[in-house]
Amino acid sequence: MSRSAQVPFARLEEIAGSASVVTDAAEIAAREVCGIQPSVVVRPADTVQIAEILRFAAIEKLAVIPTGGCTKLGIGSRPTRYDIALDLSRMNRMLAYDPHDLTLGVEPGVRIEDLLHALAQEKQFLPLAVPFLDRATIGGIVATNSSSPLRHAYGGVRDFCLGMEFVTGEGAQAKSGGRVVKNVTGYDLHKLLIGSLGTLAVITRVNFRTFPMTHAQGTFVATFSAAESACDFCRVVSHSVLTPQILEIANPGAAALLFSGEISARLEPRTWTVIVSAAGHPAVVKRHERDLAQLAGTANADEFLPLTDSESHSVLAQIREFPRLMKERDPFAAIFRISAAPGAMAPLLGRLRVLAAKRELDFVALARASGILYAVFLPQRQMAAPPSSMPGIFEEVFLACGQPEMQASAMLEWCPAEFKTSAEVVWGPSRPDFELMRRVKHSFDPQSVLAPGRFAGGI
Amino acid sequence: MQPQLIRDLEALLGPKAVLSAPEDLMLYEYDGSVELGSPRCIVFPTSTRDVAEIVRLANRYETPIVGRGAGTGLSGGAIARSGGIVVAFPRMNRILEVDAANLRAVVQPGVVNLDLSRAVEHLGLYFAPDPSSQKSCTIGGNVSENSGGPHTLAYGVTSNHVTGLELALPDGEIVRIGGKSIETSGYDLRGLLVGSEGTLALVTEITVRLMRKPEAVKTLLAVYDTLDDTTESVVEITVRAITPAACEMLDGFTLRAVEDYVHAGFPKDCAAVLLIEVEGLTEAVEAQAAEITEVCRQHRAREVRAARNDQERNLLWRGRKEAFGAMGRISPMYYVQDGVIPRTRLPETLRRIEEISRKYDLQIGNIFHAGDGNLHPLILFDERDRAQFARVVAAGGEIMRHCVEVGGALTGEHGIGMEKNELMPLIFTPDDLALMERVRAAFNPGGRLNPGKVLPMGKACGEIRVPPMPTSATIPT
Repeated sequence: MSRSAQVPFARLEEIAGSASVVTDAAEIAAREVCGIQPSVVVRPADTVQIAEILRFAAIEKLAVIPTGGCTKLGIGSRPTRYDIALDLSRMNRMLAYDPHDLTLGVEPGVRIEDLLHALAQEKQFLPLAVPFLDRATIGGIVATNSSSPLRHAYGGVRDFCLGMEFVTGEGAQAKSGGRVVKNVTGYDLHKLLIGSLGTLAVITRVNFRTFPMTHAQGTFVATFSAAESACDFCRVVSHSVLTPQILEIANPGAAALLFSGEISARLEPRTWTVIVSAAGHPAVVKRHERDLAQLAGTANADEFLPLTDSESHSVLAQIREFPRLMKERDPFAAIFRISAAPGAMAPLLGRLRVLAAKRELDFVALARASGILYAVFLPQRQMAAPPSSMPGIFEEVFLACGQPEMQASAMLEWCPAEFKTSAEVVWGPSRPDFELMRRVKHSFDPQSVLAPGRFAGGI
Repeated sequence: MQPQLIRDLEALLGPKAVLSAPEDLMLYEYDGSVELGSPRCIVFPTSTRDVAEIVRLANRYETPIVGRGAGTGLSGGAIARSGGIVVAFPRMNRILEVDAANLRAVVQPGVVNLDLSRAVEHLGLYFAPDPSSQKSCTIGGNVSENSGGPHTLAYGVTSNHVTGLELALPDGEIVRIGGKSIETSGYDLRGLLVGSEGTLALVTEITVRLMRKPEAVKTLLAVYDTLDDTTESVVEITVRAITPAACEMLDGFTLRAVEDYVHAGFPKDCAAVLLIEVEGLTEAVEAQAAEITEVCRQHRAREVRAARNDQERNLLWRGRKEAFGAMGRISPMYYVQDGVIPRTRLPETLRRIEEISRKYDLQIGNIFHAGDGNLHPLILFDERDRAQFARVVAAGGEIMRHCVEVGGALTGEHGIGMEKNELMPLIFTPDDLALMERVRAAFNPGGRLNPGKVLPMGKACGEIRVPPMPTSATIPT
């Protein structure tokens, strides 16, 4: 573990106040990234302090990683340097909310659960049903581009984020986009920050469009004996006039996890399972139930059933928390997040299953039918150390995704830190667009102050 | 520029793919805006390789390059402001692949927007972004400008519908970003590229999402006696969280001009109309249409009627989409603005535009995407009257300043181009702009790709540029 250069604490205390400069061992350990601990945690109160800290870090050649709820710090390749954890938890204000305009501006430290609660008072929401809901903050969700099952109907963060304010690696305060729902004024720099793992800038404000809550909701489950039939059913639903909010495919391993507890009595969980949810006017939900039942029948579903409200609540929460549940189930789990052309989902699932079997690993998969797949590889039994067979599979997964017919792009979102021996382990082999990403990084953070080494291509 | 460059281009592409005679150049010195700029030559590549070679030649001769689709842009994006080579894409107009299973199409940049929707119509699919110029504008142009259209209220703008791009970088290198999947690991480069107005790269191939046609569509026309009642209805529709697929407004002045031209059935004695469309499952459409009708009636709509069939519906939409063309019948020239405001500020903003119209003694028509607060005030003028044109520019600037003051933006869908680049400091600080400049330089280090666009050149900060001399009538959008 590389320990950082000596950090001049006095200057940090001058900038943020001594109470906001923390060296407590537990606080430091909580902000470990891939086995590397910072020397100090600093809690800036505002954008001006962030800018000063970053300028100071650039002069002193210190590396800074922004942190929020510390739920996803394990994502990304291992940083080459890490001196200061920039804890944004004090920046947790809702700066603007105009429910009548359906727009919102928040600081990065706002917890998503608090925000959703505030929006619910106005019967609105953000389509961010993301993992670690109780602890995750807006900054972290945006910086990791957290995936939500609601993506099917509402798109990802990039589709409803209107603009951002941020501080670059050089300590310059900047912004792009705005607060209005339609805007082409200037470059959409904020889109670059989505999923950037804090490597370009420290986000200080995010503007979103909000969405009205729907009147009624219904969740339905269809089970299938084979992956192909489950994927076929999803394709037929996607190509129909229906407008589901959620359309997820769980392999038998994932279904067992999602349908744990009382619901398992009613449903055979050890099969391929499709979870569909519809929302809107009650007549719309009814229509979905009728049509989905019919489509499921045509697709040779073993079973089709509507869930009760409490079952639906439980299953949707499990879907939301899927990566977290997998991590908790086995600390040695390797979780890939893969985007693929929707039609490639069935062959890709088949290929990955074969790879897992060859290395005697368990394979658990949850897929968003629009083309996002969580593919999890686990030891077949509890082990004291990660199985040595595991790293070998990483390269094979990237290779499988790289086949032209898959049209897939993979990232190893979670794995034991000791396996992260290079950026390629996490991001896969070099791609031609990595060079463009390097140039983008250089524009925002020429001295590599922000999370050096954590991003694709070792950026 | 040396004649040798023309000879080299001809050798590369063939003499029929290079235009450099003065009478040819004149046809390419304007677009849908009021701007002008003359290129040295126009070239017509037929392949990505052609584009890369053109870029390399341009580098050798250190000459600017400007991409051009159909030239319908409204902010001068396709104008060769600093001369150089215009790379026009009409011969790269092939739909390379329709992948219905994945709901994707791969197209060359010169494919006309509506042609793609027509090509996939038999599959029950369509391409959602629908600028009013969709009969002629190209998808390459849509990508450059991040174009919108009436139905983007529900379905999003071009950026939400592009999953992959092939780019020719200013050094001639070809790079692919994204593909058919909805995400790609790494920075969201396609999010940056879409809407970069041709200043970062030339787009040579585009992968787009196709959408399933809705089961039911209902088009409503609500007729009002006052502007305030009309705008208050739009606010109330947003507040009630009803999400129509489109919500367009035409004021009385505009709809009278349209009615005389299109005969869409707009009552000529009213103050304004709303054209509202709801789409989706039959059940959803019925429920939403009923709720919208109720809102409009509560805000004293004189009449709310639904198009009874496709013919009536198409006629209403013709009235909307050909409105700019109709203006050409009553004014020698018009200047179309493209501001955005928070939707709740619509009523006061329309009142402000009325005041500005009186202050500068100009006729201003309003026809716009009310549902997302995207204004299109049309300022009518006669280009022979230079004093009047100066007032037009001043009035346009005042409308833009109002949009910014109420928390809006300079452009919702037409782009910054060379029309508003000097207004950028109204929204962005020097640090914001410096970062944008650095990002531009990261892709376009020599600055030869579409120079003088998007970012201010620093000559007349805070002003809409007064064009040298508008000449021809603008192209309908």
